[in-house]
Amino acid sequence: MAESAAGPLLELEDITYRYPVRDGKRFWRRKKGAGVHQVNMKLEAGDIVGLIGPNGSGKTTLLHTIAGLWRPDTGSFRVLGRDSEEAGRRWVQRHIGFMPEQVVWTGSSTPRRVLERLITMRGGDDDAIKMLRLVGLRSRADSPLDSLSQGMEQRMTLATALLGEPTILLLDEPMNGLDPVAQAAFRGLLRQLADRGCAIIVSSHNLNEMERVVDRVAIMNRGQLVAAGPMAEVERRLALEQRLLLAGSGPKPDLSLLTSEGVIIEEQETHSVEEDWRFRLIRPAGRWEPGDRGLLTAAVESAGGVVQLIHPLPAALEDLLGAVTGQDPEKVGLELEGDELVPMRTLEVDDDE
Amino acid sequence: MSEQSAPRGRLATVLTLARFEARQHLNSHRMFALASLLFLFIVGGSYGLSDPEGRLTPGISTDTPYQVLFLISLFVLLSATLGVVLLGFDAISRRRLTKELAIELSQPISRSDLALAHLLGLWMAAFLPTMGATLVGVTMVHSQMDAWPTLTELVYFLGATALVLFWYSSIQLLASSLARDLGSAVTLGVGSWMLFTFVWLLITAVLASIIGVDMTNLENQRFDRFSEIIDLFSPNGVYQLLLEDRLTGDSAPHLESRFIWLAAALWTLIPALLFTARFRSIRP
Repeated sequence: MAESAAGPLLELEDITYRYPVRDGKRFWRRKKGAGVHQVNMKLEAGDIVGLIGPNGSGKTTLLHTIAGLWRPDTGSFRVLGRDSEEAGRRWVQRHIGFMPEQVVWTGSSTPRRVLERLITMRGGDDDAIKMLRLVGLRSRADSPLDSLSQGMEQRMTLATALLGEPTILLLDEPMNGLDPVAQAAFRGLLRQLADRGCAIIVSSHNLNEMERVVDRVAIMNRGQLVAAGPMAEVERRLALEQRLLLAGSGPKPDLSLLTSEGVIIEEQETHSVEEDWRFRLIRPAGRWEPGDRGLLTAAVESAGGVVQLIHPLPAALEDLLGAVTGQDPEKVGLELEGDELVPMRTLEVDDDE
Repeated sequence: MSEQSAPRGRLATVLTLARFEARQHLNSHRMFALASLLFLFIVGGSYGLSDPEGRLTPGISTDTPYQVLFLISLFVLLSATLGVVLLGFDAISRRRLTKELAIELSQPISRSDLALAHLLGLWMAAFLPTMGATLVGVTMVHSQMDAWPTLTELVYFLGATALVLFWYSSIQLLASSLARDLGSAVTLGVGSWMLFTFVWLLITAVLASIIGVDMTNLENQRFDRFSEIIDLFSPNGVYQLLLEDRLTGDSAPHLESRFIWLAAALWTLIPALLFTARFRSIRP
């Protein structure tokens, strides 16, 4: 993080990239396939943005484009205020650390040698051992790559992304394969980097893990950025605050009154010994008002029970995508990625700047 | 200009990366197989071919150490070039599958420099053990014939061998960068080796029959000239012609040296440039 600039560290303007794919009829000809379409995004120093979306939504393609693995077809992006085309690929890549998804480290080489090789490529003077210590792999510095576990491989890949103290960090599914302890350490590391002025994009399809680390989310579907902003704000705008969790002990309360109001009541398994019952209450139209909690508590107590838990349920990825695209949430994830980027109903981007 | 952009800095970076690459190949399990092949073919061949009691086909003489070296070149073509295939058939495709290539390509280094480092690394890994086996082979020749090849002859032989391994390295890396999976990597890698090592003779024969050159008579000089021209399009053929160029009498090639050296220069440049161009546009 040697250099910094006033204004956004990363600014994407109408970035479009579509993979060239073979024409089915004439094998020597290429046509435009799936990719990303007119993506706009800004990242300030210290931002941690969660890039979320289902498989094939364009998250990895977008990260690859920013990492300089190919040029966008149209649109441009600025890094530290400099246009990427003018500054050149190598200048851009000096400021970006990229962690691809699920790299498999194989062979008889060692983590130390791999990092030393990458340090040579960067023309830098990083210390491979220091970097391995940072990701908790110091003791495996000279072990063969073949002997690393999946979690260790992820740490190893993270170490490669941190070389050269990048200003912008692009992490593609970084939590895959990490145990809960490593995940917590990883979140702490991301926060530290952000506090030091690094802008970070973390891609994932797991909303729960994202919520604990990101400041903002950017939701992608079929190559398009369909919503962006702080998670709570996105949920509010998509009216996804309608799900409530109610758990308690004693006799089950009578919630039939809610059914007549159109609330869907789903009984769930209890999660602790204090709980005798647990319900998920979904209000498809409208939202829960603050007074509703008092009414629910009163209903439980009048039946002789005690409320153990009452709080809104976080939205799942499929709910967000369903709300954003207007499609049936159960079908969103199953829809296969097509070659064409079909214009969709998109949510006005709220970047909370 | 940044430190790395200066030509000397760039060259130093490429050579350092090539050393990393070569070390990785030299420490791989495949190197055990390659070392065995080289020892059996080159060292064993040197011992057998230089045996004064040995009898070869009439017309093939092994009177001098260089003539023995020339015959050993057949074993080099069978073993060392196969070694390049062994080490290099998945050098790019494997990295692509494991996504290591995405990490490499996201580093602030020119893709041409990176391609050159891959190429030099593979070449070094194949050439160093071949050179070792050749030097051991030369001592075998000395033990049998009580004569050494001159230093010029030895350097010439090793230089030509270095060239043919460089050509094969370029071809293998080009094939590997085109392959999308392990199956196609094996097919392209082994296929290109078989084309030049085994199928070329067939191609020459078919072409000769098409244009009416008699191949039934081995003394036919027209066929000799024709096959030498066709050999210019094969790395194995150019390697053989380069080595024959130092022989005298009937064993010397009919083609002028400048054509052979021109072919050698083109074989050095074209596959390497094709690989570099391919690597510059490769998507991980």
